[in-house]
Amino acid sequence: MVGSTPRAGYFYVLPALLLMIVILGFPSVASVLESFGVGTKGPIGLHAYAKLAGDPEFYETLRNTAIFVVAVVSMHLVLGLGTALLLNQELRFRWLFRVLAILPWTMPDIIGGLIFRFMFDTLTGGVNAVLGALGLASAFDWLGDPTLALGTVIAAEVWRGYPYVMLILLAGLQAIPQDQYEAAKLDGVNAWKTFLHITVPNLKPMIYLALVLDAIWECRLFGMIYGMTGGGPGISTQNLSLMVYKQYFQFFDTAYAASVAVVLAAVLMVLAVPYVRLALRDEK
Amino acid sequence: MKKMSLLSIALVGVVGFASNALAEIKLTYSDWQLAQEVWGKSLNDVIDQFEKENPGIKVAREPVQLAQRDVRFSTAIRAGGGPDVFALDANPVRQYIAEGWVRDLTPYIQAAGGKDFLGDFYPISLQPVTVDGKVYGLPMNTVAMTLVYNKKLFKEAGIDAPASTWEQFREDMKKLTRSKSGSGPVDQWGLTLVLAPAGFDLRVTSIVRGFGADFLTPDGTRSAMDTPEAKAAFNYIVDLIQVDKSVPPGATQVDANGARRLLANQTVAVKIGTTWSYPEVSAMNPALDGWHTLGMAPIPRSAGKDNQTRTTLFQKTVFVNQNSKHPEAAWKLARYLTDPAAMRRWFDDNNMLSARRSVNEGYEKISQSESARTVAAEIEHGAFLPQTPKWPQILDAFRQNLQAAVVGSKSRDQALDDLNRQINTILE
Amino acid sequence: MKTGRHWIAIYGCLLAMAAYNLWPFFWMLASSFKTDIEVTSFPATIFPRTFTTAAYGRVWSQEGMVHYFLNSLLVSGATALLSAAIGILCGYGFSRFRFRGRNVFMVLLLASQVIPGVLLVGPYFKMMSLVGLYDSLTGLILAQTTLTLPFSVWMIKGYIDGVPIELDQAAQIDGATSFQCLRHCVLPSILPGVVATTIFAFLLAWGDLLWALCLITDPAKQTMTLGITNLVGQFRVLWSDIMAATVIGCSIPAVAYVILQRYLVQSSISSAIKG
Repeated sequence: MVGSTPRAGYFYVLPALLLMIVILGFPSVASVLESFGVGTKGPIGLHAYAKLAGDPEFYETLRNTAIFVVAVVSMHLVLGLGTALLLNQELRFRWLFRVLAILPWTMPDIIGGLIFRFMFDTLTGGVNAVLGALGLASAFDWLGDPTLALGTVIAAEVWRGYPYVMLILLAGLQAIPQDQYEAAKLDGVNAWKTFLHITVPNLKPMIYLALVLDAIWECRLFGMIYGMTGGGPGISTQNLSLMVYKQYFQFFDTAYAASVAVVLAAVLMVLAVPYVRLALRDEK
Repeated sequence: MKKMSLLSIALVGVVGFASNALAEIKLTYSDWQLAQEVWGKSLNDVIDQFEKENPGIKVAREPVQLAQRDVRFSTAIRAGGGPDVFALDANPVRQYIAEGWVRDLTPYIQAAGGKDFLGDFYPISLQPVTVDGKVYGLPMNTVAMTLVYNKKLFKEAGIDAPASTWEQFREDMKKLTRSKSGSGPVDQWGLTLVLAPAGFDLRVTSIVRGFGADFLTPDGTRSAMDTPEAKAAFNYIVDLIQVDKSVPPGATQVDANGARRLLANQTVAVKIGTTWSYPEVSAMNPALDGWHTLGMAPIPRSAGKDNQTRTTLFQKTVFVNQNSKHPEAAWKLARYLTDPAAMRRWFDDNNMLSARRSVNEGYEKISQSESARTVAAEIEHGAFLPQTPKWPQILDAFRQNLQAAVVGSKSRDQALDDLNRQINTILE
Repeated sequence: MKTGRHWIAIYGCLLAMAAYNLWPFFWMLASSFKTDIEVTSFPATIFPRTFTTAAYGRVWSQEGMVHYFLNSLLVSGATALLSAAIGILCGYGFSRFRFRGRNVFMVLLLASQVIPGVLLVGPYFKMMSLVGLYDSLTGLILAQTTLTLPFSVWMIKGYIDGVPIELDQAAQIDGATSFQCLRHCVLPSILPGVVATTIFAFLLAWGDLLWALCLITDPAKQTMTLGITNLVGQFRVLWSDIMAATVIGCSIPAVAYVILQRYLVQSSISSAIKG
C-alpha cells in the first residue's frame, strides 16, 4: 500500500466510477427491470424467463455462442502469443511488421462483417474465386450451408481479433526484466526452457487477462456475425447478442430481449468472476 | 382612457407574443429514401418546395439506411424523441401503431374533408394504417410485385414472354439456364430468388400468393400453410433451387440488392420486382439499356386456378410521431408529401406508382408507361402481408424453414410441419 | 547464439503472418479498383480486368466521407485520450490502494460490460436529450468512453501491478506524494501498456456503430463507420465504394499505430531500480 491512507484510492477511482454510474447505471437497471416486464406493455413477472427456458432457439443460440467463444479465443491465444514472441525480437523493419501485425484489428467489426460477407459469397466472392483459380472445387456455400457457416464466421473472427491478444501479450513481454533472460543465457539454458520457465510465468497474469477480456468480448460480439450472416442460415450462427437484437428491434419484444440480455450478462459474469477472484487473490 | 391604453398595450403584447410563437417551427423528416441518390434528391426538392409555400416551417432532413431505420427510430421514440414526420414501408407499421409511436391522424383528416379526403386512396392502401377505425398514416406509394425479365435473354432462348402458369414458367426457367457461350459451364440461370432477410418479405411471398396460398387464415388466428396450395408453393420453390437448379448457387445469401445485381449483370433472366426495378437495375449496368431490355409480367398462377390475390403489395407510408411537438405543422408536411402534385413527382423522378387512384389512372405518363400499367393493374390482385404485430416472427419462421428445406437440413414435409407448428405457437 | 537458420525461421514466420493478415486487405484493395460490374460478376476475377479509381473518386467527393473521417478521428481520439487518462488514475487506485469496496468496484466495472448495448442505448439517449447533449459529439464521446473504460482500467491495472511496489515506496521515503509516484515512477514503466491501451480504446471507438447510429442524426456529425455502412442502401450496394471507403478507414488506425508503436519499446525498469 502506498502511503498510510488507503482512502486516497477513492480519489483515483472516482472519475471512472462517476462516469460509469452516471452513464450506464440507470440504463443497466432499466434493462434488468424490463426483463421482468417492468416498463413494457406486457405482464410483470417471470414470463419472459419461463418462455426462454422452453425455447429451443435459446438453447441452440447458447450452444453456438459457447462453440464460437471457445474456438475463437483459443485460436487467438495461439496466434497472439506466437506473433507477440516473434515481434519481441530484435528485427529489422520491426515497425513494419508491427503495423502488419495489427492490421486485422483496424477493421471495425461491422465493416469486417460486410467485407467477409463479400469475400465468402458463393458466386462472386474472393475465396471461391481463388479456389477456382487453383483448380479446386469452388462452389462452397460458405455462408449458406449450415454445416459451414459457423466455421466460416469463426475463421473470420479469429483473423480479425487476434491482434488484440497479441497487443496485450507484447506489452507484457516488454515488461519482463531483461536480466532474467541474461542470467538464463549465461547459464546456457536453451530457448524452449527459457520460454517455459521465464517467459510463461512472467506472462501468466497477462495471459489470463487477455483470455478473459477476449472471451468477454467474443461473447458479446455482434457486428461481425451480423454483417456476415445475420445469424443465419436458420439460426446456425446466431449468438446471444444477435438474439437480443432480433427480439428487440425486429420483433419488438422488449421483455424477451431483456431476458436474453440478462442471461448473456450472467454468462459473462460467470466468465469474469473466477478471473477477478484469481487476480484479486494473487495480489500481494 | 387609461383602461384603453392599458388594453392596447396588452393587445400589442399578445399580438407580439403570438407572432413570436409563429416565428419558426423546426420539423425533422426522416426517410430511408433520403439516403438514395435519385430518390433523395426528389424528396429534397419537394420538401424545399413545401418550405417555400409554408414560410415559418423549416424541415431538417435525416437520412437513415433501411436496415438501421427501425433501430434508430425505435430507440429515439421510446426515449421520447424521434423525427416529427417519418416514412415506413409496410413492415413494422402495425408494431409502431401497437406501441403507440404514431399519432392518430383522424381528427386532421376529418378537418381536411373526412371521407372525401380518404376516398381518393385505394381502400387496400388504407388497410395497414387503419386500426379500430382510426387512421394513423398517409399512404404515399403503393406497388405490386411482378416478374421483371430480360427480353433479350428470353428471345435468345426462344421464349416470347414469361408464362402465365407455374408449370410453363418452370419449363421456361430450365430453358434459360445454360452456358452463354454454348459450350462451357453454366453461367446463366433462369431466375434469382431472394432468401436472405433483406427483401425476402416481398418477393418469395408473392410466389406463395401466386399459388393461391396464404400464410394465415383470413381471421389471422391460425396458420394457413397447411393447405395443399401452400405445400405446392413451398415444394415449387425448393424444386427450382434443388432439382432444376435454375437458380444460381448460393441462393440462401441473395438479398434484394443481390437479385438486382444478378439481373443487371445478365446472370439471370428473371427476378421478382416492381416499378423501381427499372431505374435501379438500369443504373447498375448502363450497358444493359434496362428501360428497353427489361419487361414486366404478372406473377404466374396455377393452371386452372384463377385466384383473385396473386401477389404481394409494397407500400410506403408517411407518419407523424406521437412525440412531435408540432403536430399541426407535421400534418401539413405529411399531407404535402402525399398530395397528387407530389405523387406525380414521385412517378416522374422515381417511377413509383401512387396510392391515389386519381393519379394512377389519370396521369398520362403513368398510362403511357408499360411497366407502370402492368403494376397498376396488379394492385387489384395484390394483398399486403398479414397485418398482425407478430408478423416478423412468422416471417422469420417461414424464411428459416424454407432455407432449411433448400439446403437440405430438413426434409420438405418436416420443414412445413415445423413451420405450421411454429406459426400456431406464435399466434397463441 | 543467433544462427542463420534461427533467423530464417523467424522471418519466415513473420512473412507468413504478414500474408495471413494481408489477404483480405488485398481482396479489398483489388475490389476497390474494379468497376461496379466486375466486382459482382461471375466468375469472379482476382485482379481487376479494368483498373479504375472511380470508386475512390466517388467516395471522396460524394457523401461527405472526408467529414465522417474527421468526425471519427475527433471522436475516437477524444475517447481514447479520455479512457487512457481516467484509466491510469483508476488503475493506479485499484493497484496501489486497498480501500473498502475496492473489490466490489472492480467487479462492477467489468460487470458494466455484460449488458448488451442495444438495451442501454435507449435510456442513455433519453438522458442525453434531458441534458441537451442529444445529437452531439460530446454525448457520443461519453458513451463510447463507457465502452472502452472498463477494459482500459483492467489492462492498465495489470501493467501497474507489474511495476514493483518497492519503486513507489522508495519514492515515498524520499517524500513524494502518491500522485508524484504515479507520474514519475510508475508511468514511465508502463508506457508500452498505456500505448497499447490507448490504441485499443481508439480502435474500439472507431468501430462502434450502434451508439453512433442512435445518438447522431445530423448527417454532418456522422462517423466513418456509420458512413461506410450507409453505402449498403436499399437499392444499391456499391461494393467497390465500400471497399474503397474501408481501405481509407482502416489506414488511419494503422498510421496512428505506426506513429505510436515506437513507444512499445523495452521499458527501463531495471535502470530505474539501479538509479
